Amino acid sequence: MGVEVTQAPQVTPPSSQAPSSQAPSSLELSPRHPLSRYSNEDALTGEGVLPVLPALRELLPAGGLPRGSVVAAGGWSLLCLALAAEASAAGAWCAVTGLPQAGVAAAADAGLDPGRMLLVAEPGPGWPQVVVSLLDGCELVLLHPPDRPSALVRRRIEATVRRFGGVLVVAGDWEGAQLRLLVTDQQWAGIGAGHGRLRARRVRVVADGRGAAARPRARWLWLPAPDGSVAVCDPADVTTGQCEPADHIGARETFWKEMQRTG
Amino acid sequence: MTAASNSPQRVLVIWCPDWGPGADPGAGPDAGAFEQVVTAVEEFSPRVEVVRPGACAIGARGPARYFGGEETLAEKIASAVAGQGHPCQVGVADGLFAAQLAAQAAGSPGPVLVVGPGETPAFLAPHPVSVLGDPELADLLTRLGVRTLGEFAALPATAAAARFGTQGAIGHRLARGLDPRPLVPRPPAADLSASAEFDPPAGQAEPVAFTAKALAEQMHAGLAARGLACVRVQVQVICEDGQEIARLWRHDGLLSALAVAERVRWQLAGWRTARDARGEGGTDAPGDDGVTAGGVTLLRLVPDQLVRATGRQLGLWGDAVVSDRVARAALRVQAMLGHGSVTRPVLSGGRGPADQVTLVPFGDAADPALPPDRPWPGRIPAPAPATVYPFPLPASVLDESGNPVTVTGRALVSAAPARLSACGGPWLAITSWAGPWPVAERWWRPASARRKARFQLVAEDGSAWLAVLSGGQWLIEARYE
Repeated sequence: MGVEVTQAPQVTPPSSQAPSSQAPSSLELSPRHPLSRYSNEDALTGEGVLPVLPALRELLPAGGLPRGSVVAAGGWSLLCLALAAEASAAGAWCAVTGLPQAGVAAAADAGLDPGRMLLVAEPGPGWPQVVVSLLDGCELVLLHPPDRPSALVRRRIEATVRRFGGVLVVAGDWEGAQLRLLVTDQQWAGIGAGHGRLRARRVRVVADGRGAAARPRARWLWLPAPDGSVAVCDPADVTTGQCEPADHIGARETFWKEMQRTG
Repeated sequence: MTAASNSPQRVLVIWCPDWGPGADPGAGPDAGAFEQVVTAVEEFSPRVEVVRPGACAIGARGPARYFGGEETLAEKIASAVAGQGHPCQVGVADGLFAAQLAAQAAGSPGPVLVVGPGETPAFLAPHPVSVLGDPELADLLTRLGVRTLGEFAALPATAAAARFGTQGAIGHRLARGLDPRPLVPRPPAADLSASAEFDPPAGQAEPVAFTAKALAEQMHAGLAARGLACVRVQVQVICEDGQEIARLWRHDGLLSALAVAERVRWQLAGWRTARDARGEGGTDAPGDDGVTAGGVTLLRLVPDQLVRATGRQLGLWGDAVVSDRVARAALRVQAMLGHGSVTRPVLSGGRGPADQVTLVPFGDAADPALPPDRPWPGRIPAPAPATVYPFPLPASVLDESGNPVTVTGRALVSAAPARLSACGGPWLAITSWAGPWPVAERWWRPASARRKARFQLVAEDGSAWLAVLSGGQWLIEARYE
């Protein structure tokens, strides 16, 4: 029941751009469905960007992950999986390396297809070669470097990313990354002192980078939303600021009701 | 009763009890160590067939003539293998099946038992039907009152085939002292072998074993196109220094591509151990499973002893959607790091975060360890944690007064958790928490029974943890981040 509403547009339209996410009412397909905007094969071979979840589009200047780029996600978190989710759902293969702790159930909830994931938990000291090999086969590679790469290794990997037209998402920092995303604030909702449970997390994600991405952008997101997916957070809810967790639930439920009514 | 044209050739089997009598190749000492035994036997006959680690066979006729009789040959082989430090028993009979039984029956007067030509049916007769290695057939026969191979062999062959099917017909042939299947009478016209060259020579065993997997698939495809399957496969390896090692492998049943690759790896590892023992390849580091002294330049798989394919499905990829490009990348990483290093996740059932995913090595069939479509009461609630530690981290959780937080047998928490230290890290104040959620799994099986209580803890820095208290010990199972 929650799936249909997660990608609905914001209740109060933000003052900034993003005309694309305002359209879904006229589509027969759910806006989450990859075919609604991308024909399955062509999206992955023809276009210059890999698609991302609608909630993340406004953060990225190209509206997606530019092919041939390195994206630093500032450490392992659900954000890395969220970045890969839409492309994976649209048919891209996603390799995860150096992250034995990656939660596959969370990845599936975020929208990745576990059937198109390759896990190389321990790439060992020869990890640059492993990454290069994986980039040959997979459009998306999630990497946590076991050690700090030298400038030479970094340039070699970047050249490989450009050559194969994939996207390397680094769970950590990467000098010279085209895009940098960082979770700056987080608040868990649904849990109290001895009651409730973790239901959803509101995070503030800041994106900056080089070139077109140089101007920092910040958005509040549900990461994860109560059903495990990723959604844009209602700005009105954010401005209420610090409130009790129980109020969070109340505010969130009115938020969902509002969205179900409108979307 | 037995047609002369059908009578099987004389076979000599060397059986080392160290490796156990079962067909499980993983049991006993290292399968590669058996290579030493095979090398010792090779001094007597160049064509050694490895039935499984622990048992190998040679054709007895030629060597027996040369060494002056089957008894003499068998005793010489027994003492040569015993010289390698492995006790062994040797049996000679008509056909592989009877020779294996003879080798296992040997031992009371000496390590050798020779069943004379034509005496094989009489030798087999008192054995119970269970030695046929088919529990279902043996069970059925016993219930019908047929307890020994002799009684089974006395039944008419056509009646046995009609009543017990293909397996029964094979068993009946074995019981009569014949080969299990009639061999394909003519050699295949086409060359069905598959080979690959390595340039530069491969110094490590892994890339060779992975090439073997691809070669085996190629070979199987060629055989399948002709409606054939191989029961034995000869693995030939030619090294940089011109040395050649060849080995025949048998599988009980037909070989899969992975099974072939595994045998190639054993062969290379065992060969290297043998080299070290002889002091030839002394420069390589211990523990390195490579073929260091002279890399491998050629690997060839030759199918041997062809039978009609009776409809076994050859191993395919777990799922047809793997494109060539992805498969190539995964195989390349597997060649670098080993078969188990590249995995595909399969969502499965279970209550804990680590149970909910089964990691299947790339190329293997994907089956979840626990069925995912069950309710699994007590499983951790959504959303799923983004970080699931492969090995839970030790932690300490204290209450306001500094005492460790405990949970009673009735799932009551001793006090509200106030401070958390994960894996020896700094102490963090706990701002909110939920639990305990008791889990009692497999209480009906004491060996694997687990009783634990799960908590969700949110610390002052906003980090959220899934902690579990089991046997008085706090562990961090997962982190929500």
